[in-house]
Amino acid sequence: MKQFRSNRLQLLCLLILSTIGAVGVLRGEEVGDRWGTEEREREYYPIVNTPMPKDTIIEAGAFAVLPDGRIAVGTRHGEIFLIDGIDASKPLPSFHRFASGLDEIFGLAWKDNAFRVTQSCELTRVSDSDGDGLADRFETISDAWGYANYHEYAFGSKPDADGNQYVALGLSESYYSHALNRGFIMKVTSAGTSTAFATGLRSPGGIGFDEHGALFYVESQGPWNCSCSLKAVSASSFHGHPASFHWYPYSPELGPEPEMPNSGGRIAAERNRVRQLVPYAVVFPYIRMGRSITAFSVNRTQGKFGPFEDQLFLGDYTLSILMRATTEKINDVWQGACYPFREGLSTGILNVEFTPGGKLLCGGTNRGWPVRGIKPFALERVEWSGKMPFEINRVTITPDGFHVTFTKAVDRATGCSTDSYRISAFTHPYHAGYGGPEIERHKAAVQAVALAEDGLSARLTLEKLDRGFVYEFDLGGLRSRDEEELLHRNAYYTVNEIPARQ
Amino acid sequence: MLVEGTMRTFTALLTSWIAIVNSSVAAADPALPGNHPLTQVQAGQVLISELRCAACHQGVPRDSLTEKTAPDLSEVGARIAPEYLQRFLASPSAAHPGTTMPDLLMAKPEAERDRIAEALTHFLIAQSNASFSSENTEQLDLAWGKTLFHSIGCVVCHGPQEAISDGATAKVANDEHGDEDEEGHDDVKQPRAANRHFRPTAIPLGQVPAKYSVRSLGDFLFQPLRVRKSGRMPDLKLTRAESLAIAGYLVGNSAQQVKSLSANDSLVSLGRKYFQDLNCAACHGLPGIPAAPSIGALKKGNVTRGCLSPADRRSPRFQLEDAQRNAIAAALEETPLDDTDQVAAAKTLTAFNCLACHVRDDAGGVHPSHNVFFVSSDQKLGDDGRIPPPLTLVGAKLQPAWLKKVLFDGESVRHYMETRMPQYGSTNLQHLPAIFARIDRMPGREMKIPSPESRSEIEREREKQHRAAGRELLGDKGLNCIACHDFNGKNSLVNQGIELLTSYQRLQPVWFDAYLRNPGAFRPRTIMPTAWPNGVATHKTILEGDTDKQIEAIWYYLSLGTSAADPPGLRAESTKLVVEDRAKTYRGRSRVAGYRGIAVGLPEKLNYAFNAETGTLSAIWRGDFIGVNWSGQGSGDFQPASDPITLAQDVSFVQLADEEASWPRMPVMTKQARTNPNPLYPKNVGYQFRGYFLDGSSIPSFMYRCGTIEITDRSVAVGTEEQLRLQRIFQFDSPEPQTVWFRALTGDVRQESEQVFRSGRLRLTVPRAELKRKPISEEAAQFELLLRLPIPEGKSTLELLYEAVSK
Repeated sequence: MKQFRSNRLQLLCLLILSTIGAVGVLRGEEVGDRWGTEEREREYYPIVNTPMPKDTIIEAGAFAVLPDGRIAVGTRHGEIFLIDGIDASKPLPSFHRFASGLDEIFGLAWKDNAFRVTQSCELTRVSDSDGDGLADRFETISDAWGYANYHEYAFGSKPDADGNQYVALGLSESYYSHALNRGFIMKVTSAGTSTAFATGLRSPGGIGFDEHGALFYVESQGPWNCSCSLKAVSASSFHGHPASFHWYPYSPELGPEPEMPNSGGRIAAERNRVRQLVPYAVVFPYIRMGRSITAFSVNRTQGKFGPFEDQLFLGDYTLSILMRATTEKINDVWQGACYPFREGLSTGILNVEFTPGGKLLCGGTNRGWPVRGIKPFALERVEWSGKMPFEINRVTITPDGFHVTFTKAVDRATGCSTDSYRISAFTHPYHAGYGGPEIERHKAAVQAVALAEDGLSARLTLEKLDRGFVYEFDLGGLRSRDEEELLHRNAYYTVNEIPARQ
Repeated sequence: MLVEGTMRTFTALLTSWIAIVNSSVAAADPALPGNHPLTQVQAGQVLISELRCAACHQGVPRDSLTEKTAPDLSEVGARIAPEYLQRFLASPSAAHPGTTMPDLLMAKPEAERDRIAEALTHFLIAQSNASFSSENTEQLDLAWGKTLFHSIGCVVCHGPQEAISDGATAKVANDEHGDEDEEGHDDVKQPRAANRHFRPTAIPLGQVPAKYSVRSLGDFLFQPLRVRKSGRMPDLKLTRAESLAIAGYLVGNSAQQVKSLSANDSLVSLGRKYFQDLNCAACHGLPGIPAAPSIGALKKGNVTRGCLSPADRRSPRFQLEDAQRNAIAAALEETPLDDTDQVAAAKTLTAFNCLACHVRDDAGGVHPSHNVFFVSSDQKLGDDGRIPPPLTLVGAKLQPAWLKKVLFDGESVRHYMETRMPQYGSTNLQHLPAIFARIDRMPGREMKIPSPESRSEIEREREKQHRAAGRELLGDKGLNCIACHDFNGKNSLVNQGIELLTSYQRLQPVWFDAYLRNPGAFRPRTIMPTAWPNGVATHKTILEGDTDKQIEAIWYYLSLGTSAADPPGLRAESTKLVVEDRAKTYRGRSRVAGYRGIAVGLPEKLNYAFNAETGTLSAIWRGDFIGVNWSGQGSGDFQPASDPITLAQDVSFVQLADEEASWPRMPVMTKQARTNPNPLYPKNVGYQFRGYFLDGSSIPSFMYRCGTIEITDRSVAVGTEEQLRLQRIFQFDSPEPQTVWFRALTGDVRQESEQVFRSGRLRLTVPRAELKRKPISEEAAQFELLLRLPIPEGKSTLELLYEAVSK
């Protein structure tokens, strides 16, 4: 979640600056608009509402899939419900309240016959010791952080292979770090030992492991973050917001305090100076790819969810949309792309989870902050209709351009023409101000395109690639062999590193 | 259940269409039921499609309507009683008056007919994995089933099954029962369905008890589109329990025990042969059985012979009314043309019986005899609360995406309306939204809502004005829209009308503008008032009384969605947590317990708060439990429901270096210095919270550590109502003998007797121990009461009694 207080003003600055800074840009008219793809999306990925029991409020903050196939949902009201029957073709699942009285749940995992619950105050093991189906033990695993101010949310990952969990701690009031370790990611071992792991967070919205098993957290637009982004987390990594520096003395395991970043530079340059600074792995251009993105889940449904296996799916709280993301590691730095996926959900999305049946369960609330979806809370199931959409499947980088794959074969006429691949690039200032413009926008000319024989991928050669830029793809000119237009014409690739020529 | 003898007499009036049709008198062409707008030719085209003439005949022009398909037979053996199935196959319309299934055996002698039907039954049963069973183990709530049947909309197509007495129904509005000719008032074009002399639809259900078991009918009602894919029997969004209740009501509790039938192999193969010979596969697909090639083209001449002729005795046989044959003949005579959008919409609304609930232009509307079955949970909303909305100009009213949500995703905003908008299956109605969008054009004023992000100062000023005006107009000092409409999840004060924040997503601005100016033009008897009679604003001060601007301001305000501040007059109340027969434990921030606060409510109506950050009992109060803030951004912070006695929140157990050492106090943050100066407190004095567990009465025991001492801390209510006390028992577990200090009380601590102390409204009884009453603030006469506790190795306990004193 994030602080929206000064969005409008910042947005204004953004608009003025982007208009001044970027001539002939595609932007402007799209601010706050919908993608306009909802009606076409529904043919491929219908949204099915999951009815809830009367008088039950389920503002989903976290999900976990249980070994028996049930889904557990942790809520902002501090309850855990076990949902049975979520995958039925006409879903009318049963909801069993397993636990209550917890403090805003934004992390849920099942391990060793108990839940591991990240609530605002602590990471807690919640179990049912007498087998009556109701939680009766709530054991503190870690509370190694201060919790004393407004907006101090805590988001917890699932355990990694060694049983470690990571807890991402938002700043105090989303701007400061008044309480211990606010703005840190804590590592909690299965035995409960807590150490500081990473720093520089602003307002995380989720934390977890990507399709390669690497740790990422979700960051919101705001100070030091002109757009929302996915950020790759490693030991002692610093993620851009220096408010938490004064806690370094309490956590020697982090090593020395980083250099203070210079406001107004570029992240590509600053990371040469501030050695712990990790650049945004996947930038979600503000507004057209969300205003407050939230927790992700990896599609490992083995095709049940359609063509996007091993990709990250995540929602946006404000715009009630779903997006995809893919990551890759180049020169030891993570980067990747994001793609529009589905709009028109009914509430602000806080979390998503794939069900055993390969459907994407999305939940959240519209309470408290501006949200496009009109329901105070909802659980919705997005499922693949079985019909193949024509989509950009994945964008990856090459030494001289990009490799783009598609879900359906592209026809030769459009697919072989460089005119069909409109690519531009922009960067953000790296600065202390709230949000910020897209600057230094320029056209990235495609010199050559090589469409694969099967039409399912294309290799694009660009005049040049620049580190620190977001490459915005508009492939609206492409047609599939059955003359379809792309369901979504855009993709956005963040270039931190460029692979060397073999 | 109907007996066969009776049914023979029915032979003349068959098919559901006829059952309906028979009742159609005046409206449009009598070949089709209800108050539809179709001509004879169009009605004939609908019949050709509904009866699936194209399944056998060549040259049937494609209609805009999605064809009605036959039921899926893959599980028919589990769904339908074998005895009934055989009887139905032998003579469909005798077993089920109103069926659209033609009689395929009419030309055969009666004995042979039965033989073929028997073989077909065996064959069909052999297709199913499960077999039919009339056994039912569920408890059935027949009264609920009856209520559901007569309120959610079943009546609209099937007619009431019995007279319903008061309870389930609402008052019927006004004078709709009458036979008055015209409602002669004003120049507004009004639907006059209620005055038309058409008789209601009533597809018979008499065969149901013999045909289904409660279970199989329940399964069918739960997901009718699985069996009948073309959606003429729609999905009424029933839960499993609702499906069973209705099934129980329709089948009846005393459904006869049906003999199970095991498929006889020779009959199965014979049945398979008949299934092929009779070309059942033309309508009912089964794996491995292809349909026969189509036969001759449908021509006008066919109507006097063959399957439609009343005189012909050959099979197959559709039993139609003259009006229907005439309509089909008229349709065949016509040169086939593609339907216009208008005609396509009319055909769809007729075939799916949308018009039985909805008015569109001059067609449709609730039949007077069904009116009583349209019910609302909020009677104050009048007809708007119980009669489904008109579809006139619906394509100009609803946003296209919203229309699809309603049609295909079961979306609904009228929670007060008992009648449900069913789901017909997206493939069956997917053409409809685009048609509505093309034909429903509404001239009107384009509203120009301000842009907060505009670069122009004037525009930003306009935005501010509109925002303020919109808020004022919606609120209780303005038009008080929130009196009848929910707003942002908060209930309205009087009626429970549609949530206002749905407006921007659901409605088109031109329609909204026109509707606000004169709601009565859209809904003659609406209770929605107009604030701008004859276009003149009643509120003169807001936006200078400019009607255009006021409506624009409201639209703009609604466009802000959940970010719109609540209009004045809307109350946000905290959620009350109530303790019943078990204790309740709730975590949340609170001024009486800190951010890591925990509230505990005991059934005796004695409550306390525990600050888990410091391991301290920090408040006690009697009576109701807590209010929790879950409105707006509320993170679930709690407030005691009554005035609490509060205690210090510093750490409670410390191993002091010496008895003169000052008690380690919580760090203090100020507005100027907000960063915690002692962030490791109280872990740096040996405290660590370890959680809690609940006993059989859900009473929590808190677990924490002081150095190496494990402490369990449990409190229960003891004593009488007059002298209710909180008994707090500590259990210590120490690896060695050691001394620890417990800070029992602070404030104006006075000793009442050897072991009894008082501070403010709290009386505390402490165990025998070495006590120390130390001043903590000279001026204010503040003290702290410390207990020096020698903790032995192993387990030990200690007990305190807290009593809230009223004076």
